[in-house]
This record gives sequence, structure tokens and C-alpha cells, in this order.
Amino acid sequence: MSAPGNAMDSLSAALKCNIIPNQEYLLQGSVLDQYVEVLLHRLRGLCDNVDSGPESFHDHELCFSLRIANTGATTPMSVFSLRVRRALDVSDTPYQLRYIGQQELGDKNRPTVVRSSIDMACSSTIVDFLTELGCRVDFEYIARGYMFRKGRMKITVSKIFKMGGNKPGETVEPISQSYLVELSVLAPSGQDAIAEDMRIFAEQLRPLVQLEKIDYKRLGNIM
Amino acid sequence: MGVTILTQFNTENRSGPQNIEILSKRILALGATQQGQFLVDCETYTSVPQLGHQRTVHVLHNSEQPATVFSLLETGAKTIPLATDGLFDLLMMKMSHFYTSKKQTKSESKGPRYEIGDFCVKLGTVTVSSNFKGVLVEVEYRPCVVPAMCWDLLKEFLQGFLGLSGPTTPPTYLQNRMQENYSPIDTIHQYLEHFTMFRKSPGIGMRP
Repeated sequence: MSAPGNAMDSLSAALKCNIIPNQEYLLQGSVLDQYVEVLLHRLRGLCDNVDSGPESFHDHELCFSLRIANTGATTPMSVFSLRVRRALDVSDTPYQLRYIGQQELGDKNRPTVVRSSIDMACSSTIVDFLTELGCRVDFEYIARGYMFRKGRMKITVSKIFKMGGNKPGETVEPISQSYLVELSVLAPSGQDAIAEDMRIFAEQLRPLVQLEKIDYKRLGNIM
Repeated sequence: MGVTILTQFNTENRSGPQNIEILSKRILALGATQQGQFLVDCETYTSVPQLGHQRTVHVLHNSEQPATVFSLLETGAKTIPLATDGLFDLLMMKMSHFYTSKKQTKSESKGPRYEIGDFCVKLGTVTVSSNFKGVLVEVEYRPCVVPAMCWDLLKEFLQGFLGLSGPTTPPTYLQNRMQENYSPIDTIHQYLEHFTMFRKSPGIGMRP
């Protein structure tokens, strides 16, 4: 029997073969509360998991960042963001840790936003671990909604709530009168063909939802 | 998944391969069969000075749990364990601005893996940044998860083939956790304890 390989060697081999799904293709949009049923109905018709119905979720997400203040005028501040998600409706599921990199909007010809993403399951000690690592919590929220699948595409329709009180699940207040709609695919880099499929799928949801490439920098200027 | 005891085997004046050979002969004579090889490795990262007080992250892999990456964060005041999927290694690479790897402390223990009845025995050759440091013997008793319930049995088994160099007391890490349920992260803690000792030791030489 051959000796087990070094984990770092197998990771570099996996990176070289480009089999790690570390790119997220993303489109986002929103729908008003009163039309969400219509959207869910349409998604039930379009997506794969018709028989079992949409999968519901109720998650708590914490967004952490690790920062080094700028030491001089020339060195910009480094920021590293990590997200931790846990299910509130199912116990005994692992926590989810996620790194999301800078998003690339690309030009008009590119149908979706592309950002690097590393997604992994982890133990519940992650919150303590990140805090002691030097991360601080930037914000947190609760997302409740439905998840649909269409091939490799994932569609989520979720209501975002502010955290109320100190304990999760106490009184939660919705952030807006609409639902966030996200269409995403996690794939190894270079699989740009999937972005085209996403564009076509997004077309089918119009005019109920306009799924678009959202430029967060622009949003920052509005607020 | 059972209870695992990790102990150092006195190398006397023999080289690593000689020690492994002696122990292999003994365990085979007891009726064990070899079931492949094993590997446990550890890489240590330290925080950059700009992050404030120094923290250390030890990232370990164990071939017994090939899809998991174990990390132990030492803050000085406490140690926080974390188990994640394999992609955690990729995350550590991304974090290189904040946590840098200390290459000269890269440690591993590898060698043959044997099964004998309810026991699993691993004979590891330990190297720290490719320098031979010693021999670690890992014995797992698989039907039980509470250390206190099987410590005597494990001690007897270990002394049976290690002779006088077998342990007489449970490993330091386990002493306060004898009544708790044992899990794979506990094995990782024991490995780290030994790797830390080996890193501090002057080294036995360059013999592989």
C-alpha cells in the first residue's frame, strides 16, 4: 500500500489541476414582499427540486474582518473578511466558514460578478477561534428563506433580519420590505461558460426580479 | 474511533529505522497485520507584530481523518481547537499577510500502521524540518471512548511490546480529561505536545 501523501502536496496538486471550486459567479436582485409568492411559484416551475419542494433555511451569519492598520502613508490597510454561518432551524449541522475575495465586475460582456470564494464546513469553536485570531465582528444578520437548484446553479430567496437583543432568535426585525434574490454558482476558475447559463436563467425571471451585477462600491456612494 | 495514547519510544543508541524495525518485529510477533502507512504533520504559523500580542496557529493533518484539517490556536491564555474541511489550508495561504509560517518547525510523524484485534498501532518516525528527532508510538483501543475505562488495558498493552519504556501514567494532556469522551482532536493535542518537545530538543543528528 502506498504511503499517504502530504496534505499540502495534494492541495497544490489540486490547485494545479484546477479542480477546487474557488470562484463564485453571482447575480443579485430583490423582490417586494407582496410579489415573493409569484416568484417562488415561478422558481418551483423552473428549478430541479420540484417534487420535494424548495428547501427552506434559517441561518445566522456573522461577518468578521481581520485588519492591520496602515503603518505608513504608502502601505494601505489590509483587510481580510470571513463569514461564519450556522443553521438556526437544524441542530447538529456543522458551521460554515467562508472567505470571499474582492469582486470583479468585468466589462459589459461579462454576464456575472466573479469573486474568489473558499467555502468549508467547520466545528462550532470557529467563533471563538476567529475572535482570538484577532478578527472582529463587523455585522451580523439572520437570513430566512428558500433555496432552489437548477443544475449547478443555486437560487436563494431570503428575508434579511436585524439581530434583535443579545440572543439570536429573540425579536427580529426585517431590514426591508423585500426579499433578497441571489443566483450563484461555485466553480473552479476559468469556467466562464456557466456565467452565460446564469444570464439566460436570470432572463426567465424578468420582469419579476432584475438579477444584476451589483457594484458594492457604487452602493457605498448612495448611502 | 476509540481512545489513543501517544508515547515516545526511547531511541537509545539505535537509529530511527532500527527502532522501527525492532518494534515492527515485536508487534508482528504478537499477531498484528500491517494495514498501510500513516502520516501526521504539523505546520506552525505566528501572527505578524501589527496584530498585537503574539498568537500561534498550529495546523495539523492526520491520515486517519484525511478530509479534515485540525487547527489549534494558542493565545497564551488558552488553546482553541478547530476542525474544518481540507480547504482550510488554502485559507491559511490567503492569510499570509497576517499569519506567517515558520518553515523550520514543520514537523511530521510517519511510518507503518498495524492492526491487532481491537488495537491499532502506529510506529512513527518523527522529523522536524527534515531532521530526525525520535520515534513516536501511537496505540488506539477502538471499542471504547472514555480514557479512564481503558487506560489500564492500554498501559498493559503498551508495556507488552515497549517493555520498560512503556508509559506508567496517562499523557499529560489526557490527565484532566480521563472521564470525558475521546475525539480525534484529542489525538491532535497529544501530537502537538510531542512535536513541541521535539522542536525544543537539540536533535539526535541527521540520521533519517
